[in-house]
Amino acid sequence: MDEDILTTLKILIIGESGVGKSSLLLRFTDDTFDPELAATIGVDFKVKTISVDGNKAKLAIWDTAGQERFRTLTPSYYRGAQGVILVYDVTRRDTFVKLDNWLNELETYCTRNDIVKMLVGNKIDKENRAVDRNEGLKFARKHSMLFIEASAKTCDGVQCAFEELVEKIIQTPGLWESESQNRGVKLSNQEEGYGERACGGYCSML
Amino acid sequence: MRGTAQWLHKMAADSEPESEVFEITDFTTASEWERFISKVEEVLNDWKLIGVSSGKPLEKGVYTTGIWEEKSDEISFADFRFSITHHYLVQEASGKDGKEELVEDVLPLSMQDLLCMNNDFPPRAHCLVRWYGLREFVVIAPAANNDAVLSESKCNLLLSSVSIALGNTGCQVPLFVQIHHKWRRMYVGECQGPGVRTDFEMVHLRKVPNQYTHLSGLLDIFKSKIGCSLTPLPPVSIAIRLTYVLQDWQQYFWPQQPPDIDALIGGEVGGLEFGKLPFGACEDPVSELHLAATWPHLTEGIIVDNDVYSDLDPIQAPQWSVRVRKADNLQCLLGDFLTEFFKLCRRKESADEILGRSTFEEDGKEVADITHALSKLTEPAPVPIHKLSVTNMVHSAKKKIRKHRGVDDSPLNNEVLNTLMLFLFPDDADKLTDGSEARLSTSRNNPPPESEEYNLYSQFKSAPSDSLTYKLALCLCMINFYHGGVKGVAHLWQEFVVEMRRRWEKNYLIPELANGSPDLRCCLLHQKLQMLNCCIERKKARDEGKKPYTSDRSPSGSSGDTGKAVDRSGGDYQKETEKERGEVGKSWESWSDSEEEFFECLSDTEELKGNGQENGKKGGTKEGNKESANLKPEGRLHPHGKLTLLHPGEPLYIPVTQEPAPMTEDLLEEQSEVLAKLGTSAEGAHLRARMQSACLLSDMESFKAANPGCCLEDFVRWYSPRDYIEEEVVDEEGNRVLKGELSARMKIPSNMWVEAWETAKPVPARRQRRLFDDTREAEKVLHYLAVQKPADLARHLLPCVIHAAVLKVKEEETLEDIASVKKIIKQIISHSSKVLRFPNPEDKKLEEIIAQIMSAEAIIARARSLKAKFGIEKCDQEEEKEDLERFVNCLLEQPEVSVIGAGRGPAGSIIHKLFLNAQRMTESSDEVATMTSLDEELKRSGSSDERRLNLGAVTDFPPPAGRELILRITVPRPAPYSKPLPQRMYSVITKEDFRLAGAFSADTTFF
Ligand SMILES: Nc1nc2c(ncn2[C@@H]2O[C@H](COP(=O)(O)OP(=O)(O)OP(=O)(O)O)[C@@H](O)[C@H]2O)c(=O)[nH]1
Ligand SMILES: [Mg+2]
Repeated sequence: MDEDILTTLKILIIGESGVGKSSLLLRFTDDTFDPELAATIGVDFKVKTISVDGNKAKLAIWDTAGQERFRTLTPSYYRGAQGVILVYDVTRRDTFVKLDNWLNELETYCTRNDIVKMLVGNKIDKENRAVDRNEGLKFARKHSMLFIEASAKTCDGVQCAFEELVEKIIQTPGLWESESQNRGVKLSNQEEGYGERACGGYCSML
Repeated sequence: MRGTAQWLHKMAADSEPESEVFEITDFTTASEWERFISKVEEVLNDWKLIGVSSGKPLEKGVYTTGIWEEKSDEISFADFRFSITHHYLVQEASGKDGKEELVEDVLPLSMQDLLCMNNDFPPRAHCLVRWYGLREFVVIAPAANNDAVLSESKCNLLLSSVSIALGNTGCQVPLFVQIHHKWRRMYVGECQGPGVRTDFEMVHLRKVPNQYTHLSGLLDIFKSKIGCSLTPLPPVSIAIRLTYVLQDWQQYFWPQQPPDIDALIGGEVGGLEFGKLPFGACEDPVSELHLAATWPHLTEGIIVDNDVYSDLDPIQAPQWSVRVRKADNLQCLLGDFLTEFFKLCRRKESADEILGRSTFEEDGKEVADITHALSKLTEPAPVPIHKLSVTNMVHSAKKKIRKHRGVDDSPLNNEVLNTLMLFLFPDDADKLTDGSEARLSTSRNNPPPESEEYNLYSQFKSAPSDSLTYKLALCLCMINFYHGGVKGVAHLWQEFVVEMRRRWEKNYLIPELANGSPDLRCCLLHQKLQMLNCCIERKKARDEGKKPYTSDRSPSGSSGDTGKAVDRSGGDYQKETEKERGEVGKSWESWSDSEEEFFECLSDTEELKGNGQENGKKGGTKEGNKESANLKPEGRLHPHGKLTLLHPGEPLYIPVTQEPAPMTEDLLEEQSEVLAKLGTSAEGAHLRARMQSACLLSDMESFKAANPGCCLEDFVRWYSPRDYIEEEVVDEEGNRVLKGELSARMKIPSNMWVEAWETAKPVPARRQRRLFDDTREAEKVLHYLAVQKPADLARHLLPCVIHAAVLKVKEEETLEDIASVKKIIKQIISHSSKVLRFPNPEDKKLEEIIAQIMSAEAIIARARSLKAKFGIEKCDQEEEKEDLERFVNCLLEQPEVSVIGAGRGPAGSIIHKLFLNAQRMTESSDEVATMTSLDEELKRSGSSDERRLNLGAVTDFPPPAGRELILRITVPRPAPYSKPLPQRMYSVITKEDFRLAGAFSADTTFF
């Protein structure tokens, strides 16, 4: 079974407390929504194998606690991640405003500078929207991120978000080959490759 | 064809009787020959070189500024392989309409190029470009490097193939064949146009026949070659370039002195300082200067240059241009330092193996003891044995090192070692004098924090430039270079580790490390040192905090009572493990009867009154929230804004909390592995959360202690405000009031937050179990340091060394201001930040970075050498100085630079002087030479060229190392009534050879 797995990817989910990180992950891995999900303590971890463009990839996903006090623990999980999902809550502007802090932290602690970033605006099923879709779009464009709006509750956009992220990682030369593979090729590819991808590192999927 | 045959013949006669390298058996077979021709035609077709060539007249200098490209293919004649290559200057696509406008009998572009004077003597170009001024041509040459077409008949055969192919296809691009050995660069070729043909012919000789050494002789053969019977012949246009080489810089000593190590150790300021990298070339990075004096537009008859007299005085030449030759394999100090340090990474030996002695080996028992102790330390639960006699271990280790290392076989002598240790730990010197740990100000030459430069460390994953780690890296780098190489490195490292132990044991903070948790942006070694400092800080705080009320121990555990400490801690350890066993399963519990395991918080400003009493009370009862409301609040930090507790209505206080445990990246890695291993099941997730909840529990306990009578809602409002949802509701009396409740996820019965809250007892941070066991962590760090091999160290510290080297290059560049170096620095930084942030960078990538740094160093060294030679510092006229500076910068970045004002401008007169001085030196040494070897002298003067120049007034310059001439004319050929066509001949004379390259056009219709 493991033989046809192309690669194992490390994915990270970050964002303010309560924006629905764990719920998104649960929706993705178990296709359920559990309103009784406890606030995450430290980090949690889930695995799922998905197939993108006929390539099977095993995802090791680290769900981090957004809670301030746990944050001293989490930076270590940034190391070696190939993809990161940055979540905010479209009904709480403060969670959107804090995105810059999260990007800073990412910049500081992640070991690769070509990590693929996806911005997810969660909870679009709710009535009281406080952040317009265009604002999210603009932010994503500014920081060369993928962007999608989603709802862990209604399942909207969740599968798509993960798939798109993985696809992008696989398309990024040198990002996903195992560490033991020739890194020489990898780095030189990165030099030209990254900034100039067809979509300029930016895609919208809705 | 008569002329061609004659020329080829000359050439053949000159070549020594070489046996032909190969035999093309079928060379003359008609079918093979036809096949070859059609293959050539096919290629010309493929490359779309068929038909009328078009293009604009060439702009001045476009051969240098433009882009040249080439296209290649392979063809064969029988079984002999040739490569066919199209060389061309990339030009803006000329519109099709241009072609339509062309009149039938316009000359092919290449023929026009023969006469164009805008690109004579290009500094860098294919030799055929230099000789014939062509913008485009095709060359057929033997494919294998040592193959050659040697016999005249074969040459002719090839040439006629070319001729037929051109004729058949109507290609107007000149087509050349390379004949003879490749190194001779012999080409013959042809260009065809409507009714016109140009033959490209060549003579290459080892020695210059006398009649060709001067203009008048060359004019004679040119005219005889043209064989034009027109009288009078229009004047020939002439371009001349003489090149002079200067190798003698005697009057300017290369200013770089090799660094003086003895001065350094003696404390004098030498070329080097600890903590600084050396810089600069060890020899003159500029080996030669080539001056080209050019007369670009002469007409026959204007100047005289013949057997006995010459008007060609370089001083009078209207154009001067200069190029410099770099010294090959230049040795530079910074580059050497880096290279040698990098070599360390490949050493396999451990420090002990290198030092040729075994520090601990002899006492195998002790090693076992330590590891045993360590394995105990790694057991779970807080182990209160921080008094394990580290002191003892260190002292015996020291003694052993002393014993084993006789003064003489110690790689670093005491003086060097002391200087180094004082440099690394300047606080020690302070301590000697006033007994206090003075805070250091060593940021002498460091970029200010927050500057981009200072923050390079996070890109390089090195360490801040004012940190101990960085200084250590520089010291090791220097030790490696000057003080016994890897042995010295091993020695210094051992001393460093001993010092680390001493500091831990004495509660002396390690200087020059940023406070707080290890900075994950830095290299692991730096993190380890920071970790050790965290441990020292906590131990120190604890020891000092205890001072007032614990009398049985001195704060720093001086050597006097270490024995006692061992016993004590051993005993405690046993007690603790027993207790632990008894309390398995009650992981939320904390104990209250052993003071050792408490975190004593010094920053707690509260008075330490009534501690004992309260302990007793708490130990006895298990209070719920209501009972604890009666307790005295403890461990308050400050009120949380205007928030009040929900029930008693008292202000809500933020408690003093325990700092979370500092972590280095390897520990974090380990931890994440453990967490991942728990799997993804519900139980796994639960266990994972529980494993990470120590901090949450501790914070809850602190919160309860600070806020008697509080409830979970209160805690959540401080700790996770988004989980407390407030709504405005209208109460029975019609007032709008705020009603709040926990979020749904917090209300789930028996979720971990509720569970923890119920277990938490009101205990202030300072009496809680320590979240961080500094003793255990310190021991782990010290062990880690002790087992690092020199190669490990070099790998740890290479980012710091590269970082320092980049700063050094930057600093030196600022003094010179060289654009190309600025660009290289940028490249190095972006390259390094990609390579060094990976856990195990590939050696090849590291070598590349080092090579980039070396090239930047070489350019700066070259700039300095040139500036010294051109006396820029001495120049006091501001404007002139600027001009000279610009000139030198151009020399660094361009292959050839023209000298403004030629021999009369400021740069020109300096160059003149340089030559003059060199000439004087040679003359004086020539006199000596005459006496010793008259023969030599006679032979030398055999060259009429030299004699002529020496006899003339021109003695400021040596005889030219190269004489180039281009002669051009447009005349009808072969008959006086033929079309007037471009004729050109190029000649070059150097010491080694003589070459004539002629392009002679003829009318093929009217002859
Ligand atoms: N309506 C709605 N509610 C959601 C959605 N996603 C999450 N929630 C709710 O939002 C709350 C927080 O969700 P979590 O997934 O625990 O949030 P988190 O980002 O993991 O929070 P931390 O673990 O504290 O960092 C829960 O009560 C979820 O039920 C959504 O898409 N729609
Ligand atoms: Mg969560």
